[in-house]
Amino acid sequence: MSAADSNLQDKIVAADSVCRRYGEGPAAVEALTDVTVQFARGRFAAIMGPSGSGKSTLMHILAGLDRPTSGTVTLDGTELTGLDDRRLTLLRRDRVGFIFQTFNLLPVLSAQENILLPLSIAGRKPEREWFDRLIDTIGIRDRLSHRPAELSGGQQQRVAVARALISRPAVVFADEPTGNLDSKASGDVLALLRQAVDDFSQTVVMVTHEAHAAGFADRLILLSDGRVAHDGDGSSVEAALERVKSGD
Amino acid sequence: MLDLLLRGFLQRKLRVILTAVAIALGVALMSGTYILTDTINSAFAGIFTIANKGHDVVVTPSQRLGSRVRSQVSPIDEAMLARVRSVPGVAEASGSIFEFAALLDTHGKRLTTGGAPAFVASVVPKRFESFSPVSGRLPAGAGEAAIDQFTAERTSLKLGRQIVVAGSAVARRYTIVGIVQYGGAQSFGGAAAAVLLLGEAQRVTGELGRYSQLDVAARSGVTPQALRARIRAVLPSTVEVRTGAQQAAKETTTLEENLSFLRTFLLIFAYVALFVGAFIIFNTFSITVAQRTREFGLLRTLGSSRRQILRSVLFEGALLGVGGAALGLLGGILLAPALDELFKSFGADLPTSGTVLHTRTIVVSLLVGLGVTLLASLLPARRATRVPPIAAMREGVELPRRRWLRWRPRVVPALARAVGALVAWRGITGRLARENAIRQPGRTMVTAAALTVGLALVAFVAVLADGTKATIDQAVSRSFAGNLIVESSQSGGREQGIPALIAPALRRVPGIATVTPIAFTVGRPRGSSENATITAVDPATFGQVYRIEWKQGSSATLQALEANGAIVSEGYAKSHRLKVGQTVTLLTPTERHVSLIVSGIVTDRTRLLGNMTISLALARAAFGQREDALDFVKYAPGVSNAQVQPVVDRVLAQGFPQAKSRTAAQFKQEEGEQINTLLALIYVLLALSVIVSLFGIVNTLVLSIYERTRELGMLRAIGTSRRQVRQMIRYESVITSLIGGVLGLVIGVVGAVLVTTFALSGSGFVQSIPLGTLAILLVVAALAGLLAAQLPARRAARLDLLQALAGE
Ligand SMILES: Nc1ncnc2c1ncn2[C@@H]1O[C@H](COP(=O)(O)OP(=O)(O)OP(=O)(O)O)[C@@H](O)[C@H]1O
Ligand SMILES: [Mg+2]
Repeated sequence: MSAADSNLQDKIVAADSVCRRYGEGPAAVEALTDVTVQFARGRFAAIMGPSGSGKSTLMHILAGLDRPTSGTVTLDGTELTGLDDRRLTLLRRDRVGFIFQTFNLLPVLSAQENILLPLSIAGRKPEREWFDRLIDTIGIRDRLSHRPAELSGGQQQRVAVARALISRPAVVFADEPTGNLDSKASGDVLALLRQAVDDFSQTVVMVTHEAHAAGFADRLILLSDGRVAHDGDGSSVEAALERVKSGD
Repeated sequence: MLDLLLRGFLQRKLRVILTAVAIALGVALMSGTYILTDTINSAFAGIFTIANKGHDVVVTPSQRLGSRVRSQVSPIDEAMLARVRSVPGVAEASGSIFEFAALLDTHGKRLTTGGAPAFVASVVPKRFESFSPVSGRLPAGAGEAAIDQFTAERTSLKLGRQIVVAGSAVARRYTIVGIVQYGGAQSFGGAAAAVLLLGEAQRVTGELGRYSQLDVAARSGVTPQALRARIRAVLPSTVEVRTGAQQAAKETTTLEENLSFLRTFLLIFAYVALFVGAFIIFNTFSITVAQRTREFGLLRTLGSSRRQILRSVLFEGALLGVGGAALGLLGGILLAPALDELFKSFGADLPTSGTVLHTRTIVVSLLVGLGVTLLASLLPARRATRVPPIAAMREGVELPRRRWLRWRPRVVPALARAVGALVAWRGITGRLARENAIRQPGRTMVTAAALTVGLALVAFVAVLADGTKATIDQAVSRSFAGNLIVESSQSGGREQGIPALIAPALRRVPGIATVTPIAFTVGRPRGSSENATITAVDPATFGQVYRIEWKQGSSATLQALEANGAIVSEGYAKSHRLKVGQTVTLLTPTERHVSLIVSGIVTDRTRLLGNMTISLALARAAFGQREDALDFVKYAPGVSNAQVQPVVDRVLAQGFPQAKSRTAAQFKQEEGEQINTLLALIYVLLALSVIVSLFGIVNTLVLSIYERTRELGMLRAIGTSRRQVRQMIRYESVITSLIGGVLGLVIGVVGAVLVTTFALSGSGFVQSIPLGTLAILLVVAALAGLLAAQLPARRAARLDLLQALAGE
C-alpha cells in the first residue's frame, strides 16, 4: 500500500473547495465559501461557529443530504458529486449514520425496532453480538421494548446513537445532538460518542454550539461566515473561540 | 379574519380541492338526476301536447285498477263510437288503436333494444293524426306500414323494406311506405311504433271491432268542455272522457309518475354519495382542526372568543360547501347526458331535448351541498372551540374526546393488525404502514368508514341478487314439471304477454303431450284499495306441469276453479283473513264484479301463483284477459328435447316471433342474466360513492403525510429509498381500504341475511352468499386503496429532504 493510498484511506470524508449558494442573483446567500476539510478515520471532530455560519449546511453536504453548488465531496472513497438520488440513498443507508437534535425516533416503533431501523430498511439481519455489545454500552437494555414516548429525552437520544451505530457506518454525523438535553444527559451522550470512537474506532463528525461538548472531540473546526476560520485539536477550544470572536 | 381564511385556503389548495370534489360528486349525481328527469318530462310534455292538438275530446278506458294492467280487452266498441257520433255538437269522431305489439325485422329480430316498448297505431282522420311523414306516406293498403324515424334510423330500415308485426294475432309482414314522427319528435322514449290501417291494427292487436281510444272534434261554437260533459253523460263508467288538453296533462302526469320511480332510484345513489362525502368532510375538518390546535390556541390567547373560532371554521365549511355544490352542479349538467347514455346501454332509451335546468335544481343542489358540508364540519368546529389558550404554548395538547367516539378505535387496531399482517411480511415498509394505520384509529376508522358505506351496499345488493337467483333456481327445479317454457322474448317481458293462439298451435306439434297457458291479471277485493295479483291457469292441465305446494287442498282442488273457485296464497289469506269456503268479491279490470269461493290455500313459496289463482276461462270472460303470459309445455313420455324444441321454435318463428321457448335450464340461466344486468347498473351507480370515498383516503393520506414530514425526512436521511417510501404509503392506504372493505362486506352480508331472514321469511327465499363476488370486491377495495395512494405516495417520495428535516 502506497503512502498516498493510506493517506486517502485515512481521510474518510473530504470536502474540496465546496461552495453552497442559496437562491439566484443579487438575493443569493452564500452559505459556504470555498471550504476544504478532511476527516480522518476513527477520529471525533467537532464543528462550531456562530449561528448562520454554515455548520448544518456543511454537514448536510458532507453526508450526501445536500449538493454543493461547486466543489467535490468524497465519502469513504466514493465521490458524491454526480451520484443520483438512488445511489446517494444507498450510500447514506450503508455508510452514514445520523444523530439529530430532535432525536427523530419513530413513535410507532419500540426502542429496539428504532435501533434496528437502518438494518430493516436495508433488509439486513442484525448481528446479535454487535447489537448486544451496543446496547450494553449504551445501557438501555431494560428499555428496549418501550416506545419513544415512554423514554426520557436522554434515553431517546441514546437510542438514536445506537441507531446511528448499528450498521457500523463509515462515519456518523451528529447535528447538535445535545441541543435538547440537560447537562447530565448531554454528558452521557457525549461520553457515548467518545466511547464509540475509542472502543469501536468509529468516525464521528458533530456540529455543536457548546464549548463543553466540543471538549470531547479530538479536533475542532470553526466556521465563520461560511469559511473555515480555525482547524486544530480539541484542547484549544476556548482559545480558538476567543480568537474567532476577537477576529469578528 | 376573512383574509386569513382565504390565505389558508390557498395554502391548502390540494386539500380544498379534494374535499370539494368529495361533496361535488354527490351533488353532481343529484343535479344530474333532476336535469335528466326534467329534460325527459319536458320532452314528453311537448310530444303529448302536439299529439293531442286536433282532439277536442278523447275517450279512453278508465283503467281504475291502474294503467300498468296490460293486454286487457278494450271497453270501447263500435256501439260506443256510434253513440258518441250521435251526440249533438260532434263534428267528427273516430276510433283509433294504440297498443303494445312486437315489431321485428324479417329475420325475426326485434326492432327495439332492451326493455324499450313497441306500439301499433292506426291511421286516423287527418285532423286527429299525430304521425307526420318525414319521407314516404301513411299506409293506404292493408299490407303497408309506416314506422317511426328513430327506429328506422337505428335499424337502417328504408322505404320498400318489410317489417313483421306480432301482436295478439298470427304475425304478418308489412311493406314500409313511410317514415314518420310522432308529435314532431324523432324518438318516443326509445319506443318503436308502426302505423297500420285501422282494420289491420285492430286485427293485429286482437281488438277487432274495438278501439284503444276515441278522438272527437267539436263543431264550431261548441267548447271542448261542453262537449266533454255531453259525451260523458252517454257513456258508461268503463271509459274516461277528457278534453284534449286534459288528456295531454293526464298523459304527462302519468309519465311523470312513472319517471318519478327513476328519479327516486337515482336520488338514492346521490344521497349515498353525499353521505359518504359527509364522512370525508368530517374527517378532513377533524384532522385540520387537530393540526391547527396551536393556531387556535394562539387566536384564543390573542383574545378570539369561542364563537369567533366556531364561526371561522364553519365559514370555511360553508365556502367549501358552496364551492363543492357549484362544482357539482356543473358536473350534473355534464352527467345528465352520461346518465342518459347509461340507461340507453341498459336498454331504456328516453327522449331528451336539450338540457332543462330548473331553478329548483340549482337551489336544491346548492342547499344540499352547503347543508351537508356545514353539518359535517359542525362537530370538528366545536372541537376547535375547545382548544384552550395554553395550546399555543405547548406542543401536543390533547383535546378531550367525546365518550361515544371512544369505542371505534378499539375495532381499528384489531382489524388493522389482522389486515396489516398481510403486508407486514413485506418488511419494514409493511410494518410501518400498519403502525401508521393504527396510530390514529379514529381517523383511520372514519376514512375507512366512507368506503364501508359504499361496499356494504354493494355487498348487500350482491347477496340479495344471489339469493334471488338461487330462489328462482330452486323454485323452477321444485315446481316446474314440464319441459319448455314459452314466453315473450322481450327482456323482462313477462307482462308483455304472448298471443293466446300459441297454446293451440303448439298442441298440434307431435311429441307434445300438454300445453298449459298461464296469464297474470289483477282484481280489487271489495272494500280494499289495493289490487290483488291474480294468476289464471287452466285447471285441467296446470297440475300436470306444475307441482303446487298445498297448505290446504290437493290437486283435486284445482278442478274447483272451474266453478268460480279461487286458490289463495298463505300470506294473503292470513293478512285478509280468508278461509276455505269463504266468498270474495273482486272488481275486475273490465269493471265487472265477480264472486269467488276460496277453495284452497298454497304456501307462499309457489311464487308463480299470485295472491289468488283463478281459472283462465274466468279471466277471459270476466277480466278481459286477451293474452297469456306463459305457456308450459310437457312432452309425451320417451320424447327427447332435441326432437321437439326445434319444431316448437319453428312454429313460433313462423307465426309468433315475439315468443321463444326455453328449457328449465335455459330459463334459470336467462333469469340470472337479467338479474346480473340490473346488478351491473346498481354497481355502476354505487361506484360513484366508492370513488368519493377514495378521495377521502387520498385526503387523509395527504394530511397524515404532512403531519409526518419530519419522520419521512429522517427515514429518507438514514437511507430509505423513494421506492420504499412510496411502498409504505401504498400499504397504509391498502390497509385502510381493506379495513373499510372487510367491514363493508361484513355489514352488507349480515344486513342482507338479516333482512331476508326476517322480511322474507316463509316466502321461500333461498339464502346464498356469493363468495366469489365478495372476494372480488375485497380485491377491488385493495386496488382502490392502491389507486388512492398514487398521488400521496408520489408527494411523500418527492419530499424535499432538508426542508422535511428542518420540520417546517
Ligand atoms: N434553504 C435555505 N434557503 C436559503 N438560505 C438558507 C437555507 N438554508 C440555510 N440558509 C442560509 O445559509 C446560512 C447557513 O445556514 P446553516 O443552517 O448552515 O447555519 P448554522 O450554522 O447551522 O446555524 P445554526 O447554528 O443557527 O443552526 C444561513 O445564512 C441561512 O440563512
Ligand atoms: Mg444548524
